[in-house]
Amino acid sequence: MVAYAPERETSGARRQVVIAAGMALMAATTLYLSDDAQQRIAQTLQASVLKPFIWTQETLAQARFRADQIGFLQSEVDSLTAVLSTQGALLDENRGLRDLLGLAERASPLYVRATVTRPGTPGSESMFLVDVGREDGVEVYAPVVSAHGLAGVIRDVRARDAVGMDWTHPDFRAAAMLEDGSAYGMVENVRGQFREDDRLVLNGTAYHESLANGTRVLTSGLGAIPRGIPIGRIDGTAEKQGTWLKSYWLRPSVEPGSVTHVLVAGTGASLDVTDLWPGDTMATDGGGAAGAPAR
Amino acid sequence: MARGHDGDRWGRGCWRPGSLTASRRPVVWVLVVVLFLLHFILHIGFGIGRAAPDLLTIALLLVAREVGLGSAAAAGLFFGLLEDSLSVLAFGANSVTMTAVGMIGSLTRDLFMGDSRLFVVSYLFVGKWTRDFAHWILIGDELRRPFTEEVLVQGGMGALYVAAIGLVLTLFVRLTAES
Repeated sequence: MVAYAPERETSGARRQVVIAAGMALMAATTLYLSDDAQQRIAQTLQASVLKPFIWTQETLAQARFRADQIGFLQSEVDSLTAVLSTQGALLDENRGLRDLLGLAERASPLYVRATVTRPGTPGSESMFLVDVGREDGVEVYAPVVSAHGLAGVIRDVRARDAVGMDWTHPDFRAAAMLEDGSAYGMVENVRGQFREDDRLVLNGTAYHESLANGTRVLTSGLGAIPRGIPIGRIDGTAEKQGTWLKSYWLRPSVEPGSVTHVLVAGTGASLDVTDLWPGDTMATDGGGAAGAPAR
Repeated sequence: MARGHDGDRWGRGCWRPGSLTASRRPVVWVLVVVLFLLHFILHIGFGIGRAAPDLLTIALLLVAREVGLGSAAAAGLFFGLLEDSLSVLAFGANSVTMTAVGMIGSLTRDLFMGDSRLFVVSYLFVGKWTRDFAHWILIGDELRRPFTEEVLVQGGMGALYVAAIGLVLTLFVRLTAES
């Protein structure tokens, strides 16, 4: 009679189990590595296996930018043709073209131009890469701005690139004030039930200060972010706590998903940049007008 | 179920319960490489994000059915590290998740045999959903979205997406191998 016996284990099977246990241990270890070690691993992989893919994204972003430039140049030619043909409203045309020269012309050379790329992988939501780094004078917590205002801040700087977070990140904070300086507070992200519900809220204002809808909110200059960068506009009362505190919804100046090209503040950039954003530049990147409903 | 083989149970060069037939195996390996490249081209290169399917998990689940336990875990760790290198605040979550999925996928060969359409679709659906669920657990309180949104809705849709892609791939592998 043949007896049932345990299945024969061999050295190959044992080796596989040992390897699997080792891999599981290594995987678990990655959770508890220091930030420096994690960044070294990430940098190594980004500079090796993932480099072609990151390069592809940068190339595509630049190609889109060039395509936009062609459209822009075409519109310039059209505008000039229109001006030459009519010889009228020359002053208005001139003003329009000056506006199109963009924020980069107004900012000091210490603000470096950068292309934004988004990894798009799980866990990297609200994060982006910029193609400027320490060698370009970029530091941690440097503000990342677009023509419409604050797009985010730099979180991690490497030699030639940097990782930033936009305002939808749960860690995002910015000291803020009203445009006229009549009230100060702290702007932070409030997560919604769904990602599309994420909103900005202005906290820490005194209860007796009633802030009118549409009032422009700028960075106050406390902390690492310079004073005067638009964050958004007041868009209603978010919460009242008893009779001592109110918070307000903000309609953001910048829609993170639409940002592809930005300026990043370099070392020694001005601490007051209010003049870079005159009051009429507050239409959002997403195309929403100042009076449009929030979202 | 009889195991009429002389090789190691989980080692190399042996008959593997549940793995694809020998004629299809080269096609599967080519497919894995293509899925790997396509995943990063779509997610990073083109920046499509969640609109693109999680082809890396499909590749891992296919690899897990073809190699031993240790090799599946190694592949999972490698894939996970690649994803983690782009998620600064949740470093390690993908590594642990993918390693676990690779190991579990490899262990399923002892539980389920064959490569019928129903099995492949179910295997990919459960594998992807498990990956999302485990990632949700490990990602940390700061980044964790509500369970209903992230795991049930997004995870379920992602798993369906992956299962649908898997169904197409199964047909492709069969047609290619037969031709």
